[in-house]
Amino acid sequence: MRVGLFVTCLVDLMRPSIGFSALKLLEHAGCRVVVPETQTCCGQPAYNAGDAKAVRGLALKFMEEFAGCDYVVAPSGSCAGMIRTHYPDLFRAEPEILAELEPLCRRTYELTDFLVSVMKLERVPGRFSGSLTYHDSCSGLRELGISRQPRALLAKMPGVRLVEMRESTTCCGFGGTFSLKFGDISARMADHKCDHGEATGADALAGGDLGCLLNIEGRLRRRGNHTTRVLHIAELLAGEEGQD
Amino acid sequence: MECSAGEFKHRAAQKLGDVKLQAALRRLQDKFVDGRAAALAELDGFDSLADAAAAVRERALADLDGYLLRFEREAIARGAHVHWAETGADANRIVVEIAAAHGVRTAAKSKSMVSEECGLNHALEQAGIRVTETDLGEYILQLAQEPPSHIVAPVVHKSKEEISELFHEKHHTPRKTDIAELCREAREVLRPAFLGADMGISGANFLVAETGSAVIVTNEGNGRLVTTLPRVHVVITGIEKVVPTLEDLATLLRLLPRSATGQAITNYVSLLTGAKGERDPDGPEQMHVILLDNGRSRLLGDELQSILRCIRCGACMNHCPVYQNVGGHAYGWVYPGPMGSVLTPAYQGLENALDLPHACTMCGACGAVCPVRIPLPDLLRRLRERQTERGLRPWRERLALRLWAWTAKRATLYAVGTRAAAWLLARAGGKDRLLHRLPGAAGWSAGRDMPAPPGRTFRDLYRERGRR
Amino acid sequence: MSARQRILARIAAGLGHGAEAGANGAVDGYIERHPRGPVPRRAPDLVPRFREQAERLSSTVLEVPAPGPVPAAVAAYLAAHGLGTETVCWPDLAGLPWAASGVRAAARPARAGDMVGITGAFCAIAETGTLMLLSGEDTPATVSLLPETHVAVLPAARIVPAMEDAWDLLRAERGVPPRAVNLVSGPSRTADIEQTVTLGAHGPYRMLIVLTGEDFDDV
Repeated sequence: MRVGLFVTCLVDLMRPSIGFSALKLLEHAGCRVVVPETQTCCGQPAYNAGDAKAVRGLALKFMEEFAGCDYVVAPSGSCAGMIRTHYPDLFRAEPEILAELEPLCRRTYELTDFLVSVMKLERVPGRFSGSLTYHDSCSGLRELGISRQPRALLAKMPGVRLVEMRESTTCCGFGGTFSLKFGDISARMADHKCDHGEATGADALAGGDLGCLLNIEGRLRRRGNHTTRVLHIAELLAGEEGQD
Repeated sequence: MECSAGEFKHRAAQKLGDVKLQAALRRLQDKFVDGRAAALAELDGFDSLADAAAAVRERALADLDGYLLRFEREAIARGAHVHWAETGADANRIVVEIAAAHGVRTAAKSKSMVSEECGLNHALEQAGIRVTETDLGEYILQLAQEPPSHIVAPVVHKSKEEISELFHEKHHTPRKTDIAELCREAREVLRPAFLGADMGISGANFLVAETGSAVIVTNEGNGRLVTTLPRVHVVITGIEKVVPTLEDLATLLRLLPRSATGQAITNYVSLLTGAKGERDPDGPEQMHVILLDNGRSRLLGDELQSILRCIRCGACMNHCPVYQNVGGHAYGWVYPGPMGSVLTPAYQGLENALDLPHACTMCGACGAVCPVRIPLPDLLRRLRERQTERGLRPWRERLALRLWAWTAKRATLYAVGTRAAAWLLARAGGKDRLLHRLPGAAGWSAGRDMPAPPGRTFRDLYRERGRR
Repeated sequence: MSARQRILARIAAGLGHGAEAGANGAVDGYIERHPRGPVPRRAPDLVPRFREQAERLSSTVLEVPAPGPVPAAVAAYLAAHGLGTETVCWPDLAGLPWAASGVRAAARPARAGDMVGITGAFCAIAETGTLMLLSGEDTPATVSLLPETHVAVLPAARIVPAMEDAWDLLRAERGVPPRAVNLVSGPSRTADIEQTVTLGAHGPYRMLIVLTGEDFDDV
């Protein structure tokens, strides 16, 4: 099975270890993984800012790069959601493009969803030991229905004790450019997330979207919390947490 | 009502610092969010009911003129008068004319967001008519001379201490701290207003085309009083409120109170059809229904049409993490939260509410809870696109996004750029590997650090690994 | 052109159909069929369901075997709550033996100052514990509204499963709705102050529902 890894622009720049973790997990699951070197960004920032036109070129580029793949997997519910649910909308009036693009979009998965729903992964290599609380990132949760998949995978790690926080499904305040345009509201939302996360007393807060994690960690550190670790689910599952 | 949605950012900042408001918003969230969840859990399935409710509203909109005409025919047959108003000012003029024709000097009003849209109270006062708001929340706001901050719980922003102080000052009564005592005081002050009013003014949650009825959904009973006791009853409502049949009404009534306050049904649902008959011992002698357009018809056939399905339950704002933190007044017009961020630009002009469609993280909570399946995030995104299309976004934002998209299409250039950025950001991270300041992104770094990257992109590391 | 014509023209233009929508057969045809939406399935026992729901809404529910004992049951309730014996009642309930139980029931619309109002109900809805009251010559709407206590009396046989059944009953027995159809579910309440539920906003503070085992025809 040929699986294309869509690394995502944020992982590429800010935390490559998540990309390598995803790669390791996919290979562990028995996939033949290809990583198209020309991939960049799914275009979601421009799409959500109201510039759908700017995204069309990126969607076509994606289609070309991942054309031969049985599946495309991204370690991000937000990018996978962008591709799977919004790319086809950009070409509703162009049936020829849609005919090629739409099936590829339908085969695009968020990492944990893919590992659970498609690969039916039985064992995971991660060895994290300690308590964890999980933040449900919005796009993954509401566009792709990702909620039980990461928890099911964490349950396969005997050292992990999952402690659910209050309002785990409430937005952390990231929202891409929202965090820049409305920094004060965004930081307040992150505050609530930090409060709920800290209240669990968990050693680490985990999530499936790097954007949210940077936001939450950034606020935690600014508040003076330098002990709660903030980890991507891929790093945990691959046993690569703490590596760059 | 004057629109001041342009001041969203400034107001929101103030509201974030308002400790009392923050406590009030927390309370709203606890009661309404949890209440809704519990009330919906009792149903066999929210999804099938919401699909049916959306279909009911869509059916009404798809033949809106037909259903309005049928409503009008039935209402007139039952002795009501039906008026059509293109703007809020027209609606106000019609109410004032009805008042003049029947020697009306005092009016008692139940809650109506449409009348807030029109600024009806002001128009009535200008015409020398004394008008009393009788919904407890709206009455408190009338005393305080403030606009509502929530479409269901208009005075959610005020604590009982503030209300106690207000009653003490305006009623000249001893201060009360018990909520039940405050409610009784308002009841006693307001009873004469009901009994003495010449005109009762209400909104309508729905109009039923089949029967020509106006439907009012209330808990306090003031809606029943203003539509029963005064000799003239005026309904003022939007043209989109019509539903075809009583069965359709039943479908919507299963979702409206549950979504709004977590109630399976409100204390009162009143179906008002025509004026008092010859042998009726009570009820108004005149019933007038004003059908207000005020921008609604322009949304038909538009990509925003689905916002006209809205049944004003408030679930979208109760679940919106932005509303939860800034409250309704920050939004600057009648309707706050996600539905307001669509309606305000739609009715008041895109250029007068530039921030509202962007004041949203696209978290999707509003769309997920909407009982009539309005795709609110999609509508907000569409409004953002319209801003872009009409050149209403700041040039720096446009340039940055275009540059990003342009670069992202050129893999080699992109690789060079990100390689440099990764290196720079890693260096700037320092010993604690945190960026405390981000030039050009003060919105982020004013309240947050940015965890610094390790310094090399995935792309470079992966290629290197391949070579090894 | 009137405002009405302009609004209708804009709607027709927006929807992309002709201005003659008044003659639209789809509208009348759908109303004629008035199909039901999804109605939640409930347990078949209507009285227990109604009772449970009404009690959840802070109403008191009593069951008596026949209309005859109603006044005594009401008298006992009024006495237990210290509500006196002066009441105003729907004229169509004036025939019950009120005086024999020491209750004075004035058959007329309610006025300011009336403390207890006694009404019947057209029917009741088990799904939500709701009463359906119709206004009319002998059923004034004020009686269920102005007094601080509302007593409603109806045969248990008039409880229907869902709101849709109540509308069917209304169509079958009355054709069209009267001036006011009031669906009443418990005493009035408000949660406007700090979202704290308080009973007795502008309508009644308390509500007694008396279900009778037999119909009123024998009264």
